[in-house]
Amino acid sequence: MVEKSKPKIKPGVCIPWEAKVKEIEKIPGDEKLLQQIWEDNEALAYMYIWHCLLSF
Amino acid sequence: MSKEIEKLYADRLKRYLTAMQNEKPDMIPIRPFVAEFTAKYAGFNCQQVTHDYEKAFEAACKCAADFDWDAVVANMVYVWTGLTEAIGTKYYGVPGIDVGPDTGFQYREPSEENAFMKPDEYDALIDDPTAFLFNVWLPRVSKDVRAQGEITSYRNNLSFLKGGMAMLKYFYGFGPQIQRLKEQCGTVSAIAGILKAPLDIIADKLRGYLGLVNDLLTQPEKVLAACETLMPHLTYMALSGADPEKNVPIGFWMHRGCVPFVNMEHFEKIYWPTLKPIIEEIWSKGHQVLFYAEGDWNPHLDKFAELPEKSIVYHVDRGDIFETHEKIGHKFCLSGGIPNYLLSLGTADEVRGYCKKVIDGVAGNGGYIMDASAIIQNDAKIENIKAMTDFTREYGGY
Repeated sequence: MVEKSKPKIKPGVCIPWEAKVKEIEKIPGDEKLLQQIWEDNEALAYMYIWHCLLSF
Repeated sequence: MSKEIEKLYADRLKRYLTAMQNEKPDMIPIRPFVAEFTAKYAGFNCQQVTHDYEKAFEAACKCAADFDWDAVVANMVYVWTGLTEAIGTKYYGVPGIDVGPDTGFQYREPSEENAFMKPDEYDALIDDPTAFLFNVWLPRVSKDVRAQGEITSYRNNLSFLKGGMAMLKYFYGFGPQIQRLKEQCGTVSAIAGILKAPLDIIADKLRGYLGLVNDLLTQPEKVLAACETLMPHLTYMALSGADPEKNVPIGFWMHRGCVPFVNMEHFEKIYWPTLKPIIEEIWSKGHQVLFYAEGDWNPHLDKFAELPEKSIVYHVDRGDIFETHEKIGHKFCLSGGIPNYLLSLGTADEVRGYCKKVIDGVAGNGGYIMDASAIIQNDAKIENIKAMTDFTREYGGY
């Protein structure tokens, strides 16, 4: 894909984990797990709006 | 699954895949994109199959069981209006609400001044397209969703909840439906995933066709930048729905990005440079794309010929299929070319005659799949669909 089409926020994500994690003061547990589940659910919201545009 | 059905499915899958590799199978595969025709055949009306997808699934299975077809779309009446009504979508003419119960759903493009995206909003789209769709576009296309800053409502909240859950429910229905087609009918699910070209989606759902052509004249650099912004997202969406086994192609629905809807310069400077890399990326991941070339895209065949061999299957609607075969048939499998008006208004003999002409002209070395030019709706005569099917079986062996 051409370099200039590189998105500011990657496809599959609405609110990046990097933005969300700033809202949490300290993570005593497994941050990787939190990020993974956050992004899994982000993908559902992303698919919703892009399917509204493309498929419906 | 019975041994008979298992063999039938295996033979059909092999036939379909061989043709899509532009090679010669045992016989010409038949893969009709039957939409509202399935309702007519199964005894439903358009409202029933559009608003109740279980009935659409049932109608698709009835056709697949009764006709000797190698592959079909699991539900070609794809827009489930139960979902669009849950979201509050404004742009469909819904059977049984806005149009009669036996008329297929319609897309109602808004007037230029009511376009879902305004001419000065390209920068917002480019900055964060997903946020733009949620915050600006969706409130304009839905009767229920409120824009940012507006007072929210019960219906606003329900639109997201019902819309999201209904979409999941619908998509989860496809797995069992594909399995049912395989196990009960021995029929292959023809495509997986969806792609639209960046320029087409701007015309279809954002600026409208008239808005887009105005922008192409007044701010072409913004249109190009918007198309470039959409590229990675459309690629992601296409790949997210693609066949994990990499057998069947991603459906690519081609609308108004061709001459004469846009001029050749805009096609060459915007449409094609923002589509070709998507196809190449998808191909690099091992997936074919089915170019469903609605209308006449023959002025652009030389550009399509730039794509890697076998990377696409090219479906012919109103273009000259014989010219298409001459220009790109050596690289890609072709499908379609049987005029829908003939299936609707012609006689069975005329249909057989036209199928013979197409088979003789383009299918000699394999790499051809029998289908109508465009999706088959409820105007097609059942005897003509039978004639297309039976003639292809009788005459289409290698």
